[in-house]
Amino acid sequence: MAIAVEMRGIRKEFPGVVANDDVDFAVEEGEIHALVGENGAGKTTLMNVLYGLYHAEAGTIKIRGQPVQIRKNSDAISLGIGMVHQSFKLVSSFTVAENITLGAESRTGIFLDRKTIHDNVVEISERFGLKVDPDARIQDLPVGVQQRVEILKTLYRNADILVLDEPTAVLTPQETRELFGVIRSLVHEGKTVVFITHKLREVMEISDRVTVMRDGKMVGTKVTKDTSPRELARMMVGREVLLRVKKDKAKTGDIVLRLENLKVRDDRDLMAIRGISLEVRAGEILGVAGVEGNGQRELVDAIVGLRPVVAGSVHISGEAVTTLPVRGRRETGMSCVPEDRYVRGLALPATVEENLIVTGYHKAPMSRAGLLNSKEISNYANEAIKTFDVRTTGKDVPASTLSGGNLQKVVLARELSTHPDLLIAAQPTRGLDIGSIEFVHQRIVDARDRGTAVLLVSAELEEVMSLSDRIAVLYEGEIVGTIDAGKATEDGLGLGMAGITDEDEPEAKEAGHD
Amino acid sequence: MTSKMGTLQRHLRGAFQRSIGIVLSILAGVFVGSLIMIWYKQNPVEIYTLLLKGAVGSQRSIFIAMQRATPLIFTAIASTIAFRTGVFNIGVEGQFFIGAICGTFVGYAFALPTIIHLPLTLLAGFLGGAAWAYFPTIMRQKLGISEIITTIMTNYIATHLISYLTNYPMRASPTTTETPPVQATTRLPQFIELTRHWAKPLGKGTQAHFGIFIALAVVAIVYFIFKRTKLGYELRMVGISFPFSEFGGIHLDRAFIGGMLISGGIAGLGGIVEILGVWREYKNLFATGFGFRGNLASLLGRQSVIGSLVAALFYGAMEAGALGLEWAAGIPRQLIDIVIGLIIFFMAAEGMWDFVKRIKWVRAPEAARKSTQELEV
Repeated sequence: MAIAVEMRGIRKEFPGVVANDDVDFAVEEGEIHALVGENGAGKTTLMNVLYGLYHAEAGTIKIRGQPVQIRKNSDAISLGIGMVHQSFKLVSSFTVAENITLGAESRTGIFLDRKTIHDNVVEISERFGLKVDPDARIQDLPVGVQQRVEILKTLYRNADILVLDEPTAVLTPQETRELFGVIRSLVHEGKTVVFITHKLREVMEISDRVTVMRDGKMVGTKVTKDTSPRELARMMVGREVLLRVKKDKAKTGDIVLRLENLKVRDDRDLMAIRGISLEVRAGEILGVAGVEGNGQRELVDAIVGLRPVVAGSVHISGEAVTTLPVRGRRETGMSCVPEDRYVRGLALPATVEENLIVTGYHKAPMSRAGLLNSKEISNYANEAIKTFDVRTTGKDVPASTLSGGNLQKVVLARELSTHPDLLIAAQPTRGLDIGSIEFVHQRIVDARDRGTAVLLVSAELEEVMSLSDRIAVLYEGEIVGTIDAGKATEDGLGLGMAGITDEDEPEAKEAGHD
Repeated sequence: MTSKMGTLQRHLRGAFQRSIGIVLSILAGVFVGSLIMIWYKQNPVEIYTLLLKGAVGSQRSIFIAMQRATPLIFTAIASTIAFRTGVFNIGVEGQFFIGAICGTFVGYAFALPTIIHLPLTLLAGFLGGAAWAYFPTIMRQKLGISEIITTIMTNYIATHLISYLTNYPMRASPTTTETPPVQATTRLPQFIELTRHWAKPLGKGTQAHFGIFIALAVVAIVYFIFKRTKLGYELRMVGISFPFSEFGGIHLDRAFIGGMLISGGIAGLGGIVEILGVWREYKNLFATGFGFRGNLASLLGRQSVIGSLVAALFYGAMEAGALGLEWAAGIPRQLIDIVIGLIIFFMAAEGMWDFVKRIKWVRAPEAARKSTQELEV
C-alpha cells in the first residue's frame, strides 16, 4: 500500500522543552491511523508541523512519496492536507456555507457567487454523508455539527489527508458514534485519516494502525488488531499502568468525619441534602456514588464550610464544626480536592507558588507578624512541586500555563502536604488522562494508608468501586444504602443510583447510618 | 533544554511585552489626537512640541509636572489597591476631598509642634478618606449594593457636605468660602521656599512641594504590602478569584473591607497632602478631578503599583504640558484630557494589540508558555 505521509527525524523545540525529538511517522493511504500519547507527548505539535503551523528545526516530510517543503499553512493545504483542531476555528455569526468557503470563495467579479457556494457545499456534504444545513448559522448548531462543518471545510479544499485533533473530547457518546460513522465513510471514499486521541477505547474501535508517542519521542507503531489497551497504555506511560488501583485492606481507626441528619439547600433554595448521616473512619475511603445532581455538590460544600447547613451537624475529629468558616475547619485537619478545580481549586492567573500557599500562608512558618517569609514559602513550593511531580518551568509562572493533570497535582500537593486527618475528594480525576488518573488515585490511597479519612465523591462508578473501602449511594439527597466495596457490583450500585432499592438487593439495604 | 533564557532576560522581555501595548496605545492616542487638531485647523506637530516643552522642557516645567503628578500618584495608587482587590472604587474623588477637609481641620484647629502636628494632620486625612470609603464598602457587604453606584453617590455627598462645611462651620471669614489656613507647623515645604536663597533656586515659579516624597513613600509601602505581607497576598488573591480565596480559607469580607479602607485612606492622604503643600487652606472644591484622573492613571498603569506611579508621572507631565500650551498658544488644556481618553480607549481595545504579539521577537515568552502547556504527564 502507498505511503500517504512520511515524516522523518522531525525535531521541534520550544524554549526550555523539546516537543518533538527525532520523530518518524508514517501513514498509509486509505487507513485510519490513531496517534496516541498522553497530553503533552507531542502529538499535536507533530501534526502542526505537518500542517505548516510550526516549522520544524530538523527533519524531512514526504507526501505520497514526494519530498516536500511545508513552509506555511497554505503549502500543506495545497498538498491536500486538512486539519480539524480541538478548538474550532469557525465564525459563529456566519452560515455553514460561508464558513466552509471562507477564504476560498467562488466569485463573479467582486461579488460572492452565493449560488455556486451553496451548491458546492450541498454536493460535498452529500457525497461524504455529512449532513448539514448550509444556511444554518454556526452559533445555532450543536458542537457535533460544528465539527462536521470543520471537516467539510477541509474537504472543500480538496483535502485527502485529514488530521483530527482529539475530535471526541467535546462530543457526547452519541455524537462520537456519528463521528466514527463519518470517519469510516471518508476512508471509504479514499481519504486518509489521522486521529489524535488519548482514549484507548476509541483507538481500538476505529483505527487500523496506531502510533504511540511519549515525551516528544516516537515509541512505536502497531497494527490495532494485534495490540491491546494494556500494551498501548504501557507504551504511552512508559511503564506498567494499573488500570485498577492496588491497595491493601484498610486499617481503620477512630471516626474522623461524622454527619448527623444533615440538611442542606441548593442555590435555588430547594432541599438538596435531605437528612444524611454518615461516618468516615481514619484510614478508610468512603466512596459516594450517584448520578450527578443528586446532592453531591451541596454535600461537599456543607462539609467544607462553603454552604450553610439547614439542620443537622458536621463533626470533624469529635469537634462540632457546623458553624465554623472554611479556615476554622481546615485547622481541624480537613482538606479538600474540589470538584471545580479551575474555579475553586486554583486561581489560574496567580503563580503556582501563590496557588500552593493559600491554605497555609497565614501561619508560621510561612508568615510571622503579618509578613510573608519568602524563603520558607519558596522552599515549601519547590518541595511540593518536586514531591508531587508537577511539571512546570518554575514556581513563579502563572498556573494557567500548566496542563490539566499538572494543575490537579498542584491542588493535591496543597491539600495533601499538610497530612490532613480528613480529605474530601470531589471528582478528583475528571478530565485527566491515564497517567494523571493513576497518580491521583495512588496519592489518595497513600493518604488513606497514612491514616487519613477519605470521603470520595465521584460520578465515575469505576473509580468509586476501585478506590473505596465502603460505598454509599446517594440518590435525591439521601443515602439509599451503604455497602462494603468488596460486595458491591456495578449493577447493584447502578440500581441504587437510579433510585431502585429492590428487596432483592439485600446489600444495598444495609443501614446507611450509625 | 538547549535554549534556556536567563532570568533577567526573561523578566526584561516580559516587561517589554507588557509595555508594548501601552506604547502603541499612546502612539495611537497621539495620532488620533492630531487628527482632531487638524480638524480644528491646528498644527499637531507644533502643539505636541509645545506640549513636550511644557512638560519636560525646563527645570520649571519639570517641577510643575511633579506638582501636578503628586496628588495623582495618591489617587492612582488608591484606585490600584481597590482594583487589585476586585473592587471598583470610583469614590477616590470624594475620599480625596473628605481626607483634605478632615486634615485641614486638624491643621488649623490645633497648635502643636511639627513633629506631632504634621503626622497627626496626615493621619486625619488618611482616616477621613478611609471612613468615607467605609460606607459604600459596608453597603456592598451587608446589602449587596454595587460599589460602583454607591461610590459615585458618595462623591456627590462629599462635594455638598464640604460645600456646607466651608460655607458655615469652618468658614474663616464672612466674605470667603475658605477655611482658616493650616498652622505653619503642619505645612509641607515647597521646594522654592527652602531654596529661595540658593544661587539656583529649585522649582522657581512653581508650587512643587515635599508631598512628592510622601507620595513615593506610599508607593514603596504599598508595593511592599502587596509583595511581602499576608494582607497583600489576601488582597491579590481575593482580587483574582473570590471562589478560590473562599475555598482556601481567606476571609473575604475582611480582605474586601481592608482593601477598600486602605484605598480610601490613601486617597484621603492625597487630599491633605495637596492642601498642606499647595493650598494651605481649604478652598471649596480646590481641585476637582484628581480622583477620576487617578482612576484613569491606574488603568493606564495596568493596575500595577509601579505602573500606576509611572502613569501618574506621565499624566502629570502631560498636564504640565497642557498648562504651558494654554499659556503659550491659548489652546484649551481639555485637549490633553481627550488625548489621554483616547490612549485609554486604545488600551482597552486590547485585542487590537494581539497582532503585535505575532511578531516573532515579541512573541518568545508566549511560546515558552505554550510549550509548558504541552508538558503534561
